[in-house]
Amino acid sequence: MDEIDLLRQMMTIRAFEAALMARPDHGFQLLSTGEEAVAVGLCAALGPDDQLLTSGRSIGPALARGLDSGAVMGELLGKLNGTNQGRGGRGHMASPGQGFFGAHAVVGGNLSIAAGVALAGKMHAAGQVTACLFGDGACGAGVFHETLNLAALWALPLLLVCNNNQLAISTPVQEGVAVAHLTDLARPFGIAHDSVDGMDVLAVRAAARRAVDFVREEGKPFFLECRSERLAPHSSATRETRSPAAMEALWSRCPIARIEQSLRASGAYGSGELDRIAGDVADEIDAAMAAADAAPFPAPEDVLHHVW
Amino acid sequence: MSGKPAASAPVRMFFREAIARAAREAMQADPRVIIIGQDVGAFGGSYKEFAGLYDAFGPARVRDTPIAENAMIGLAVGAAAAGLRPLVSITYMDFLMLGLDPLVNYGVKARFKTGGQLSVPLIVKTTAGAKGQGVAHSQCIEAWMMSVPGLQVFAPSTPADAYLMLKAAFLAEGPVLFVDHKRLFPVAGDVPPSDAVADVGRAAILRAGDDLTLVAHSYMCRVALAAADRLGQSGIRAEVIDLRCLSPLDIATVETSVARTGRLITIEEGQKICGVGAEIIAQLSCLPLSFHCERIAALPAPISSNPVLEAAALPDPDRVVAAARALMTKPLHKEYP
Repeated sequence: MDEIDLLRQMMTIRAFEAALMARPDHGFQLLSTGEEAVAVGLCAALGPDDQLLTSGRSIGPALARGLDSGAVMGELLGKLNGTNQGRGGRGHMASPGQGFFGAHAVVGGNLSIAAGVALAGKMHAAGQVTACLFGDGACGAGVFHETLNLAALWALPLLLVCNNNQLAISTPVQEGVAVAHLTDLARPFGIAHDSVDGMDVLAVRAAARRAVDFVREEGKPFFLECRSERLAPHSSATRETRSPAAMEALWSRCPIARIEQSLRASGAYGSGELDRIAGDVADEIDAAMAAADAAPFPAPEDVLHHVW
Repeated sequence: MSGKPAASAPVRMFFREAIARAAREAMQADPRVIIIGQDVGAFGGSYKEFAGLYDAFGPARVRDTPIAENAMIGLAVGAAAAGLRPLVSITYMDFLMLGLDPLVNYGVKARFKTGGQLSVPLIVKTTAGAKGQGVAHSQCIEAWMMSVPGLQVFAPSTPADAYLMLKAAFLAEGPVLFVDHKRLFPVAGDVPPSDAVADVGRAAILRAGDDLTLVAHSYMCRVALAAADRLGQSGIRAEVIDLRCLSPLDIATVETSVARTGRLITIEEGQKICGVGAEIIAQLSCLPLSFHCERIAALPAPISSNPVLEAAALPDPDRVVAAARALMTKPLHKEYP
């Protein structure tokens, strides 16, 4: 995947979320705005047979993993064309057949699940890497530490990727986790670790490639911290706690603007290229929206399906 | 149908041996089956219910864990969703509370929430019941779990059912909570041959009778049978029903019995409020059925390690017999309503 593809993916996530939130029926969503580089850089490093689990902030990772944008939009809007037939929503979107084992909306709850996926891979799918994305908020959960301990003891092929957006709703990471650096959490378990600027998609991809290679070759867990900025409120239903001035300063770190400027400066594409990509992205989002709008809701009696 | 002569006759064994046998056969039949838990390896399980498995199948398939119930269950759920068939052992049912998030929020809901893409063929085996170990090592909270849609709850009372129901649990499509009991492990009984299959979803009539119906599960079946013996000596014929599977609940077998006897006593070692008996009586009350009933459960207090207080809290045959005699004094109204 070349660097223009990385830009295109990040622009797709941004435009997808903007189009979704422009709808009055967008529902309860957690946006990836500002954190696109983490998802895109990580997914660029994963192979097709690897698996990715995410937290409930799932839109960016799902699109970056290559899920059909119409199926993602349908899922978020509760439609039958959704990845999960509209049953899971943003918190539980999944497409395991495409290497997206899926989201789990309980903070920290996906960590031990991912360890189990990694164990199954270790026993029956040699060379498979299971990656698990979670936020800084999960680092205070007991199951985080339980999972790191088990992953180290059992040498699980598990890539733990902390998208440290520095806020658990309103609580700064410094007030939620006692360690100075989140990578310090991996040290006591002897888990190899790295920390990278999560606003720099090229740096994330490079670090993720090193981490994936380590997990695949060594058969051991790895902890990768991606330091990002949440450029939107925690959720579509949460009030923003930061000042407009603070937000303006954060927006100067926008990861999309960063790669775009970098590519332009390097002469990687001409002046019309960005507009062309933006046009392609807009077309894809329009098609995704049309597919979701055309799809039906489940029938009420479907509520009892897939329970027992 | 293997047709092996050696497998054709019942074998007498302890309840704990029946569990080990079911697990061993499942592991032999399916390389995806693994055992995860504290002290399940060379130690063989806290009650020797996994004895011999570590030697037979090795450390990759019989995995000792640290004391981390949340991650243990979560890991087992994830492994099941990704293609393995784990049994995760939670030593005491009290500790199940630590692992309910991955079980209830992920394991049980996986098939629903993914539209059938993922299923979680997982067994959570745990040991309930009071035997002198105090307020946090004695509880029977299986009734809590009956209200989780999609979670099967098995609670056998005999070695035969321990074997047959665990065997069935290894073949189930979704998560099974398999509840055994400290006081059942040393119980011996005839266990059917390995080609036997049972309809594990059906309640079993352990003793037939026409005067009143005693409904129990797990160890309380033995209390019910002891009470029925004593009632029989004074001419009261009690029918004893072993629910076996608490969820889904076989209410039809209970209904058929109560329609005949008109008197029902539910017996459980957990709590009365929102308990198994509460659910059974509520369901029967919605049917065109006239009956007298009583619920017997642990007293509404923690289960102490103090032997006097523990015994005071737990249901016993005396309480069942007294409740039965009181019910027998009430006239039956055979016509509904």
